[in-house]
Amino acid sequence: MKVKFFASIRDCAGVKEDTVAFSGTVGELLQFLSKRYGDSFRKAVLAGDQVSDRVIILVNGRNIVHLAGTDTVLGEEDEVSIFPVVAGG
Amino acid sequence: MLAPDKCIGCRTCEIVCSFNKTKAFNPKTARVSVLMYDEAALSVPIMCLQCDDPACMKVCPTGAITKGADGTVTIEDKRCIGCKLCVSACPLGNITVSPVENRVVKCDLCNGEPQCAQYCPAGAIEFKEAAPSTIKRKQDIAERFKELFGEVGE
Amino acid sequence: MFGWAGTILRVNLSEGSIKKEALDLNDAKLYLGGRGLATKIMMDEVDPQVDPLSPENKLIFMTGPLTGTMAASPGRYMVIAKAPLTGTIGCANSGGHFGPELKFAGYDGIIFEGKAEKPVYLWINDDEVELRPAEHLWGKNVFETTDQLLAETAEDARVACIGPAGEKGVLFATVMNDKNRAAGRTGMGTVMGSKNLKAIVVRGTKSVAVAEPEKFKEVCTDARRKLKEHPVTGEGLRAYGTGVLVNILNQMGALPTRNWRDGGVFEHAEDISGETLAEKYLVRSKGCFGCSIGCGRLTRIPEGKFKSFGEGPEYEAEWSYGAACGVGDLAAICKANFLCNELGLDPITMGATIACAMEMYEKGILTREEVGRELKFGDAEAIVELTRMTGLREGFGDQLALGSYRLAEKYGHPELSMSVKKQEMPAYDARGVQGMGLSYATSNRGGCHVRGYMTSVEVLGIPEKLDPLVTEEKAGWLKIFQDLTAVFDSAGICLFTSFALGLPELADMLRAALGWTESNEEILKIGERIWNLERLFNLRAGFTKADDTLPPRLLKEPLPSGPAKGKVNQLEVMLKEYYQVRGWNEEGVPTEEKMAELSLR
Repeated sequence: MKVKFFASIRDCAGVKEDTVAFSGTVGELLQFLSKRYGDSFRKAVLAGDQVSDRVIILVNGRNIVHLAGTDTVLGEEDEVSIFPVVAGG
Repeated sequence: MLAPDKCIGCRTCEIVCSFNKTKAFNPKTARVSVLMYDEAALSVPIMCLQCDDPACMKVCPTGAITKGADGTVTIEDKRCIGCKLCVSACPLGNITVSPVENRVVKCDLCNGEPQCAQYCPAGAIEFKEAAPSTIKRKQDIAERFKELFGEVGE
Repeated sequence: MFGWAGTILRVNLSEGSIKKEALDLNDAKLYLGGRGLATKIMMDEVDPQVDPLSPENKLIFMTGPLTGTMAASPGRYMVIAKAPLTGTIGCANSGGHFGPELKFAGYDGIIFEGKAEKPVYLWINDDEVELRPAEHLWGKNVFETTDQLLAETAEDARVACIGPAGEKGVLFATVMNDKNRAAGRTGMGTVMGSKNLKAIVVRGTKSVAVAEPEKFKEVCTDARRKLKEHPVTGEGLRAYGTGVLVNILNQMGALPTRNWRDGGVFEHAEDISGETLAEKYLVRSKGCFGCSIGCGRLTRIPEGKFKSFGEGPEYEAEWSYGAACGVGDLAAICKANFLCNELGLDPITMGATIACAMEMYEKGILTREEVGRELKFGDAEAIVELTRMTGLREGFGDQLALGSYRLAEKYGHPELSMSVKKQEMPAYDARGVQGMGLSYATSNRGGCHVRGYMTSVEVLGIPEKLDPLVTEEKAGWLKIFQDLTAVFDSAGICLFTSFALGLPELADMLRAALGWTESNEEILKIGERIWNLERLFNLRAGFTKADDTLPPRLLKEPLPSGPAKGKVNQLEVMLKEYYQVRGWNEEGVPTEEKMAELSLR
């Protein structure tokens, strides 16, 4: 599955995107990625065991808030995008 | 300490300085000014640097300008006759005439709590010990040596 | 006087007369300043049916009571007139340092009437105000004009001016201040040019006072702390600028691509994003007066055929010249944006109009002979060259100067203009972000994102997370956003502060500045009053419910890909609910009860 990182999350991950062999939920993916990229990534995306309110996570372009949250189940063909909370206009 | 490379040119320092000194907002009464250089994409906050050997103090005919034990150069209003010799003498242009207060003014470091440093949103003005750290500049030079002579990584 | 300066300048350009008038405190209390107060003056003094480019139209520059203080991002002023691009009430907001300087000179605003016989500029040096000849400046670009004016007045003065686009009647000309800041939309620079007014130069040495200084400092310090702690206003905007939105809108399938023809996913989005701008070309971030956010971009293209230096681009321009024109060359987008600043053009309408022309060209509606070159989507050189030609009204640029609606209509295809009330919509596809469609359709100045930024709740989750693909709750939220935005605009602070600050913080700053005891709700009511007054102006100008609509493409052509695949905008459902929420009748006219409630009767 493809995972894309944007803005300051890129600095934490050290890459713009990654392909991971993973199956499970969004919550599990974040734990998995935190192990792979280390502490600064973990701090950016997680607050304890919960998703930080300072990130926006999309699965195939849909905010997980409007899917099943961290319980959203991911498949091999899914694309996950992780943003810090951003705005502009 | 001033770090023009961090300055975003917003002049927040001017506006809080004027408010602290006059209880109203007016950059023309501020003891700090931000100078903008469009072509260089740079803006520089400038205020009294509390010189070790202040020209303003030397030229003042009434002795109204003194340098305190903490190093702060201040103007004693009662003794100041408004001759503006200090304005001319300051090589950095950091003594001005405030149009509202109608007197000569300069930065007095807000009794040790400079408002400009507290409110600067970019960290371009910091208030710390007067021994300027040169480690950053040393690093820059070392970096060049590294580029020149270092092994190509990976 | 607290907050306000207390004096308005009235300049009659036909007579060459200048009067100083006391600010009407009743109106100031009801309409605050900026957009609100100036619209009230327009309503009282100008027939809404007036030809926008006739001497009978008025042009008003207006600050707010928080402009020039230490409030959050307090550098804003607004320019108001009947708009030549839309025919609605026109209104554009700008930052920089010009607005505060006007306050320091002792004025809340300036009303320009009539038309000067020959080009002039207004020089305000505190109490001394004079009209001076500007024939030597006519034809000069914004940078040349600004430098020349500073040289002949005072180096610590501030300049707002028009470029060649405003002089030549390009319908979307901007008023530019401090060189690179724009009162951008609806053609306020065009009105300025029609009056033969090249520039305003101001220098002030007076103070702006507030009613409760200690309380004001306390609430402003609190607001600044919140701005610093919020991820958007404390980090994101400074680091990446507004262009940080390119990737997220693209990932959500709502970045309108190739004149909105090819859906909301642009294959070169990454190349034109705020991240790429920061990585490749950003020299430094820049803030407007008193601003802690610093979203401005100082940008240098170091080499190549688009070698240049300037400010921006913002998200909207990255999109209009980028995704909308199918261009993935960020250097070309930067160069085109810099040209907009120099010539005084609105980059949203400019890029979107070129995008419209590109589709017309690919459809065979425009020919190579008419355009004078090939004009296919993706042509990086075309966006730069056509921008220059439009600003100077050379060749085909003379046609582009009318904006996309008039251009497409002339060739019998108005449906290809992606505009509302003849103003081009910005960078959020309303099929993928439903509430933005309602926002565009009901905006009092035509297609626009900063009258009710539903993207905030639908895409970014600030302050709440609404599903962008449904219509429920959108009307109610939009009303709140529209009313609150009107208060921000009229107070004189930047709308971007609203990502971190809400009504309570804004109301606290206003109360301490003005010595008010009004409740938060009463202060929000000011926004609703302003919104309804603008609506009344437009109704009297001849607009009806039929104009509260979107281009047929958004209502009939489903998005071809992305998470909103298959969606069109369901405007009809939302619009009906919106009129009800607003207390308007089924025709979109404010009821007598609503007018009485808002003291508009």
